[in-house]
Amino acid sequence: MSTVRRTPLERQYALIGSLLIAPTVLIFCAVIVYPLVSAVYLSLFQVFTPTLEGSWVGLENYRTLLGKNEFWSSLWTNIVWTVGTLTLQIICGVGMALVLHQNIWFRSIARSLILFPYFVSTVVAVLVWKWVFNDLYGILNHLMIVAGLIDFPVDYLGSMPNAMISVILVGAWKYFPFVVIAVLARLQTIPDALYEAARIDGAGPIASFWDVTLPQLREVLVVIIMLRAIWDFKEFDLIYLLTGGGPVTSTQTLPLLVYKEAFKLNQMGMASAYAVVMMAIMLVFMVIYIRRTRSEDDT
Amino acid sequence: MIRRIAFNLFAWTIVLAVAFPLFWMVLTSLKPQFELFRRPPTFLPETWTVEHYWTLLSSTKFLTYFKNSVILSTTTTLVVVAIATIGAYSLVRFRYRGRESLAFLVLFTYLLPSVVLIIPLYLMLVQLGLSNSILSLVIAYTTFALPYALWLLRSFMAGIPEDLESAALVDGASRLGAFRDVILPQLLPGIISTALFTFILSWNEYLYALVLVNSDSARPLTTGVMNMLVSSFNIEWSLLMAASVMMSVPLIIVFAFLQSYLTRGFGAGGVKG
Repeated sequence: MSTVRRTPLERQYALIGSLLIAPTVLIFCAVIVYPLVSAVYLSLFQVFTPTLEGSWVGLENYRTLLGKNEFWSSLWTNIVWTVGTLTLQIICGVGMALVLHQNIWFRSIARSLILFPYFVSTVVAVLVWKWVFNDLYGILNHLMIVAGLIDFPVDYLGSMPNAMISVILVGAWKYFPFVVIAVLARLQTIPDALYEAARIDGAGPIASFWDVTLPQLREVLVVIIMLRAIWDFKEFDLIYLLTGGGPVTSTQTLPLLVYKEAFKLNQMGMASAYAVVMMAIMLVFMVIYIRRTRSEDDT
Repeated sequence: MIRRIAFNLFAWTIVLAVAFPLFWMVLTSLKPQFELFRRPPTFLPETWTVEHYWTLLSSTKFLTYFKNSVILSTTTTLVVVAIATIGAYSLVRFRYRGRESLAFLVLFTYLLPSVVLIIPLYLMLVQLGLSNSILSLVIAYTTFALPYALWLLRSFMAGIPEDLESAALVDGASRLGAFRDVILPQLLPGIISTALFTFILSWNEYLYALVLVNSDSARPLTTGVMNMLVSSFNIEWSLLMAASVMMSVPLIIVFAFLQSYLTRGFGAGGVKG
């Protein structure tokens, strides 16, 4: 760009453009870039949180971390949680979108009700579910016993594998509306002619779902899966509030481990190392997503 | 016809099942305390009461937290949307060096996990002497709200035809005049939608509030309610459910009157159809 001779007007425009973006750049540097760099820098120190006194330890934190069982088990828990909840979100989301795409009674009210869990505060969602899950007075145990599915009240959050299943289910409940809305928007743009053609070729509803709907949804599903994978991987509030990582550490994912290390065990340096490693893992997904978005922008 | 009715019943059963926890929250908050611990549980309250709402409002710090949340979310939204609007205008409609890398940085930070930033941010705010204040939370919320708002507004801005601006320029308007008279009115629905999303995000935030604020005078609702009503010995279920309902009030208002803006924001937020 710099090789092209610019007219005074273009130069003036470039100046206005830079001035308009200046506040954004300043804020970005102060609250995002600087903390990001210092997170990496901090991870090379041993810092005691209450006094904030640190000593240089180099890569020692990383060596300790890679040799720690807790790191690997949290990473594994994180993967189980992400894959579990994401799969449910996609299946329920696509299914619900197909239902809401039909002309059902009071469709806009139905859509609002489905959308609500996504926008409600995680604190509210977790509190309500904890009350539903309550082992003595919870409605879920009552309904399950009445339905004859279980004989005794079940402890949904205090034992494994129930705790993991509950966390995954609540995560799916909270975030599947995102999939519903995104898929629904795409469904509305599929031309009717495609379904018409499939019908003429003798396809039933199931065949036309596999041969028409799903291929048309492919693009948007890839984007949704990547976005949600990134967001689910870094989820803190929902798991922290629901189980606190328990029982013991069975539902402790990496974000919870970072929090615990920094503010409960008071090891900020070590916590930063965990955070940096976690970001490095996420970077893979982030780069794939960003490259994809940019190539779409160019076309 | 029968198939149609059956399908409708099926669809509504699922919808109601999904929404059930939310109905249950409202119903529980309207039951007297003793009825909560009845076995088997009653479905509809036998006696309807609003005593829990009254208790929360009159004899707890709920209103302080509510006020903090309102100030916090409103300030964050105003600051972020104002900066993001001119930022997005610059990113979409101007040519200068580094523009592409900036757009890349915005997208990158939009996906960045908060736990990576929280430790240095905590240290930074403690050193600046800002911890335990609403201002510290506004600063912290900017880290996720600004990239988010920029990203949304960028795609709304890209949807405005460039010809409109060119026409104004040909008619003798200055660049900023064209922005004010042509772009802003066109962008208004996008700005409203971004503001709603930013407000809801800030209203619901938990982690930063948990780490950065440790005094009741600055606590927002999310951490305030948890701190006030949940201890390891005792959980005040009926008050919690009433508090949850009241925490969701701004959201219910948005849902009732401005839902189309929310759906529009979805379309812009990276999920392009």
